[in-house]
Amino acid sequence: MSDPVRIGLLSAAHVHADGYLAILAAMPGVELVGLWDDDDARGRGAAARHGIPFLETESGLLATEPDGVVIESVNSEHRRLTELAAAAGVDVLCEKPLATRIDDAAAMVNACAEAKVRLMTAFPMRFSPVLAQLARAMRGGALGELVCLEGVNTGEMPDVHAGWFADPVLAGGGAMMDHVVHLADVYRWLLGVEVGEVYAVANRILHEHHAGVETGGLLSLRFENGVFATIDCSWSKPRGYPTWGGLSIEAVGTAGVITANAFRQHLVLYGGPGAGESWPFWGSDANVAMLGEFVAAIREEREPAVTGVDGLRALEVVDAAYRSVESGEPVSVQRAE
Amino acid sequence: MTFRVGLAGAGFIGETHLAAWTAEGVPVVVLDHDATRAASLAGRFGARVATSLDELFAGVDVVDVCTPTHRHAEIAIRAAEAGRHVICEKPLARTIEDADAIVAACEGAGVRLFVAHVVRFFPEYEAARRVVVEGGIGDPAVLRLKRASSRPRRPAGQWLFDHGLSGGLVLDLMIHDFDYARWVAGEVVAVFCRSVGADRPELRVDHAYAILTHESGAISHVTGSWAYAAPTFRTSLEIAGSRGLVEHDSVVAPPVVTYLLRQDAERAAALPGSPLSEDPFRLELREFRRAIEDGVQARVTAHDGVEALRIALAAAESAQTGRVVRLGAATRAAAR
Repeated sequence: MSDPVRIGLLSAAHVHADGYLAILAAMPGVELVGLWDDDDARGRGAAARHGIPFLETESGLLATEPDGVVIESVNSEHRRLTELAAAAGVDVLCEKPLATRIDDAAAMVNACAEAKVRLMTAFPMRFSPVLAQLARAMRGGALGELVCLEGVNTGEMPDVHAGWFADPVLAGGGAMMDHVVHLADVYRWLLGVEVGEVYAVANRILHEHHAGVETGGLLSLRFENGVFATIDCSWSKPRGYPTWGGLSIEAVGTAGVITANAFRQHLVLYGGPGAGESWPFWGSDANVAMLGEFVAAIREEREPAVTGVDGLRALEVVDAAYRSVESGEPVSVQRAE
Repeated sequence: MTFRVGLAGAGFIGETHLAAWTAEGVPVVVLDHDATRAASLAGRFGARVATSLDELFAGVDVVDVCTPTHRHAEIAIRAAEAGRHVICEKPLARTIEDADAIVAACEGAGVRLFVAHVVRFFPEYEAARRVVVEGGIGDPAVLRLKRASSRPRRPAGQWLFDHGLSGGLVLDLMIHDFDYARWVAGEVVAVFCRSVGADRPELRVDHAYAILTHESGAISHVTGSWAYAAPTFRTSLEIAGSRGLVEHDSVVAPPVVTYLLRQDAERAAALPGSPLSEDPFRLELREFRRAIEDGVQARVTAHDGVEALRIALAAAESAQTGRVVRLGAATRAAAR
């Protein structure tokens, strides 16, 4: 048996931090070395829940000599923490979006390349068995030639979990910054082609009283091979909706249509914790496979299946979307190298 | 005095309207450029046949225009000039100029004009709008509307696939949801549309989507498709508002599901639409009749028909140019 892969957590600001810690704690061949958080109470609470050491400084965590760190900070801190890890020679799995600005994301990619450390972007939908089935069907030619993708990644307003999600500085934006990258990445993965042009509209009618950012958004993408696609990234699931939200894709080709819903595998529960109807998910947890891939890439000393460049390319779509909202016209995607 | 209808066009929608008028006990005279088809259809419903527009107009109260889109204007205007009220199938016309001419002719002749945007009479769509109007979800913010089927088979002479005659998918199918989006979220100020048919006609795939921006700030995602396998006819709506969300998907909630071993029986049982005691076409035509007889408004006006067409034409233009088409208040006012 090889040595365990040592993983640390930089910040527990993100809602996924607790879930990731639980998965990593249960993963064979993984040792959780500790957790740092700039919010002492939040960090100590999370560390205690998972029975791991709390480190008071970033350097303290990196001094435990982890093989890799998972960054679950506010979005605007991703670059600083990634550069610290890279300088310490530690591999990084960074929560999406990779950064709040494309030049930050490009700097992260470059810093990790120069330091020869791995940089993986946390895109769990790459590991959804439901979307994998769609990908297999498409690659097998079931749709003929693909012409259009319609994607919906709507959800509740995430400030029910952490207020910074609706902070224009800490999060870098609202619903567009939060949700667009998931489908942008899945589309790039399904097509193997980059987005060329983006048109986007956004508004702030949902949650208008407690959001400083856009809460509704619709994007139209044109890929470089002529395929059209849309993304609905709105925080449009209200309190009381049976689940947090979801992600679904309708793929249209010359040979017909396939729809795939990554979160349709759920029970319908009445009178549970939410009192009303709720949808306990029973499908495979894509986060388990995603974290497993990060650990495997470290152990096998190879590139992870999802890279920092993937995170950058997805963020370039978000950047174009904000510019389109500003100008009211379709805009070209600008690459940051 | 008996209310009588002159039906122009014995195709798919003409048959649908004739069935509804007949169910309402309204006598109908049918005209079609194909006299055999007119006679065949009329025979099945016990209707009379006319052989010319003048004969069609004689002795009827209203002319129901169910011809291919490019012929709406000519027939509607002649009906108005003959002093007949007009019910016109959507889209009101192929061009705004034709639509304006129809409106002007009806106003000039002092007759009523109704545009048959039947989706407003589908109970799930009506109920969802009622939720919005009664404040059930607060202010509408993001709308998603979809209408998808296989490629239509019925249209004689393939006029429906001739862009110049019908306007294709955007004008014929998506206009339903453009009208509905405007009914729910108000006037539309910007339209962006991508159409596979317009962009890559060689693929012969009819699929398009449009993103609308409403004057209120609400945004709408509208999908129209003839790219599904037969016999699908799928409609869905989702309206997210500041205080809630209302959704419906015909695929998720079919009240009758068949698992029949014989394919012919399966086909016969798989009728489109939800089973209802009164079908939406019948509700629509009854409301138009009542509006004429009692001199009251129907839920869809001639102006609504013009505005739905304006959005659809903007979408078609956007699909061609790849740019956003803006619809100003001035444009709309000038057209009134």
